[in-house]
Amino acid sequence: MMAPRVRGEREALLRQTHPLANLLLLTGFLVAVLASPGLAVRLGALVLIILLALLSGESARSFLRKGRFVISFSLLLFVAQVLFVTDGRVIVHSLVTLTDRGLVLGAQMALRFLVIVSSSLLFVGVTAPDRLARAIMGLGVPYRFGSVFVLALRFVPFFREEYRTIREAQHMRGLDRPIRNLRALRRSIRYTLLPVLTAGFVRADSIAISMKGRGFGLYPKRTITRRERWHLIDLVPLGLFASLLGVTLLARRWTWP
Amino acid sequence: MSCASAGEISVQSLTVRYPDRKKPALDAVSERIRAGETVVVTGPSGSGKTTLFRVLAGFVPSMIRAKVKGDILIDGVSIFLEDSPLSAADVGLVQQDPDAQICTLNVWEEVAFGPENLCLAPEEVIARVEESLAFLGISHLSDRETIHLSGGEKQRVAIASILALRPQVILLDEPTANLDPLAARGVFDLLRRLKDEEGRTLIVAEHRLAPLLPLHPRLVLLEDGSVTKRQAAVQRADLDRLGLRAGWEIPHASVARQGTPALVLDNVSFGYDGARLLDHLSLQVWPGEILGVIGPNGSGKTTLLRLVAGLERPSSGRVVQTKTMTPGYVFQQPHQQIFERSVRLELALDGTMDCGKLASVLSRARLEGFEEAPPLSLSQGEQRRLTVTTTLSRAPDLLLLDEPFIGQDRRNVEWLVSQLLASRERGAVTLLVSHDVPLVGALCDRLLYLGEEALEGEASAVFGRLEKSGREAFTPGFWEGDPA
Repeated sequence: MMAPRVRGEREALLRQTHPLANLLLLTGFLVAVLASPGLAVRLGALVLIILLALLSGESARSFLRKGRFVISFSLLLFVAQVLFVTDGRVIVHSLVTLTDRGLVLGAQMALRFLVIVSSSLLFVGVTAPDRLARAIMGLGVPYRFGSVFVLALRFVPFFREEYRTIREAQHMRGLDRPIRNLRALRRSIRYTLLPVLTAGFVRADSIAISMKGRGFGLYPKRTITRRERWHLIDLVPLGLFASLLGVTLLARRWTWP
Repeated sequence: MSCASAGEISVQSLTVRYPDRKKPALDAVSERIRAGETVVVTGPSGSGKTTLFRVLAGFVPSMIRAKVKGDILIDGVSIFLEDSPLSAADVGLVQQDPDAQICTLNVWEEVAFGPENLCLAPEEVIARVEESLAFLGISHLSDRETIHLSGGEKQRVAIASILALRPQVILLDEPTANLDPLAARGVFDLLRRLKDEEGRTLIVAEHRLAPLLPLHPRLVLLEDGSVTKRQAAVQRADLDRLGLRAGWEIPHASVARQGTPALVLDNVSFGYDGARLLDHLSLQVWPGEILGVIGPNGSGKTTLLRLVAGLERPSSGRVVQTKTMTPGYVFQQPHQQIFERSVRLELALDGTMDCGKLASVLSRARLEGFEEAPPLSLSQGEQRRLTVTTTLSRAPDLLLLDEPFIGQDRRNVEWLVSQLLASRERGAVTLLVSHDVPLVGALCDRLLYLGEEALEGEASAVFGRLEKSGREAFTPGFWEGDPA
């Protein structure tokens, strides 16, 4: 009899670690970026996220591809701040006026956005949802809530696929006309929402039948066969979490740049 | 892999009536099924097969509201008792669509789901999961994410998840409807092992009966909610006698493949995520030709339709329509192309119809009386007939059909075939993707097999090459004959 495999032996760093340790690390990044006053901690956090992503099996190209939208939006935030904040010492005064305050505020806002989104992407990318659900249930959260979480994740690709196919079906039937007024907008929403929601309800019904048919809800508790256990390697995200908190406190105390 | 008790079923004058339907779904059905017996329930769409299975599995009326009269006893115990000792561990239902059954993210978790709900000890759960996976030959999938499995693999996981409960009675509701012939053959082989090695009571709803003959099943024919015929140890000759043959004879004139083809695929390749689905495929289709496309799940059949429809672009090569053609695409899932609040409005989307024409169109599609019904409240078979009707009402020159026969009984298939032949008469180019090998073989002018290699030619030639290369599940003989 083979014991259930809980962790991949050959998997990269954060893919092996306890999901709750990863969750704490994410919290650390969020605290650091929201509570630290200057640029230094945010920049450090961003560098750390990139390093962790690379150590967790992401290639630089794939990380850049996934973060394309985040990077473009951050740049947009930066440019908007630089162009519209005119307080502070003037650095360039030509067609536009650039000030040191505009540059700093722009960099702060762009970095804050970059760190929040990229740390969340990293967390989602390296933490298997079923392991996270098991870890949460291991904390004593009732299994019905844990199952809802897993089911919700099960529906994400389903809705994505349904939406894509329905839009294609509209295209094939010539129903994807340009939206020029409110009536057309309402019709477009109805033509998309109606089939997507119906498919969702039908699928939810079938899965509910399947779950009940296999005894879901028969007893107040259920067996958890695969438990998430803590290992030495979990000290890495936990240590980083503690460091991020420590650095943020120091930065606040000595008001680092 | 043993189960607790025998599994004898006694259905006594069972009548089931859904609140929104005038006629009962099941009408005074009585049947006795011995422990360890294999029973095949067959019958036209809407005859009550799924309802019977849902009552047997305990979902009606507890989860699906309906008035139920009569009783069902399993090993002498009524399943309708409030404090019935029967549970999920006694009757297991494998649904038609494995996607609609899988509720976790990983294969191991999916198979463990039932035993964990029964609060079994972790060691017992592990033992059952490993046993079930091994019995189905899918231990290697143990750590895979369920979303990345093929249709055949998903159906095996669905069956394993039921086996892990060790039920005395296993109900399988058209378990091969969504599978390619090879995966379907795997399920039929598995049923044989469940009968021979495990001695379970098996009740299978199926339209395709010939591959089940080696199980020597008892046949129960349901029509309009009543049992109309029974046949013990059914054999090939009985299928002919009862009018349940799988074979088709569709007379039609051959198409002259001369002049300019209407559709040309020139060295087309396509793939994603590093996998190549179509590799330098070249093909020509002439006006009035019906090209059947067969092959395993995931071999690129739907992708081919999408490329021809212009929904995807080839990574290399060209798809050329030599004249401008109006496309019509019947998707695999009918609900994805239904948009309006009533059948009448849905048909009006493709051009208004007067009352007389509407009534005649609906009557031909066996949808009479549904004019004002919300289309998404129709059964899947009815929805599919509606989408075929709306697609054909635009008289497309390029008709793309993705598995249009799923869930259709013989009479509805005959209607669909008549529509395709009428389009053919108009000179429409038709690409028909289907797992129904005998029908595709009888209907299509040429076949394209997509798999390990692409084979294209007259149906008999393609079938001959498939048979020679050991892929007989893709030939009509497997589905029409009595495979040993």
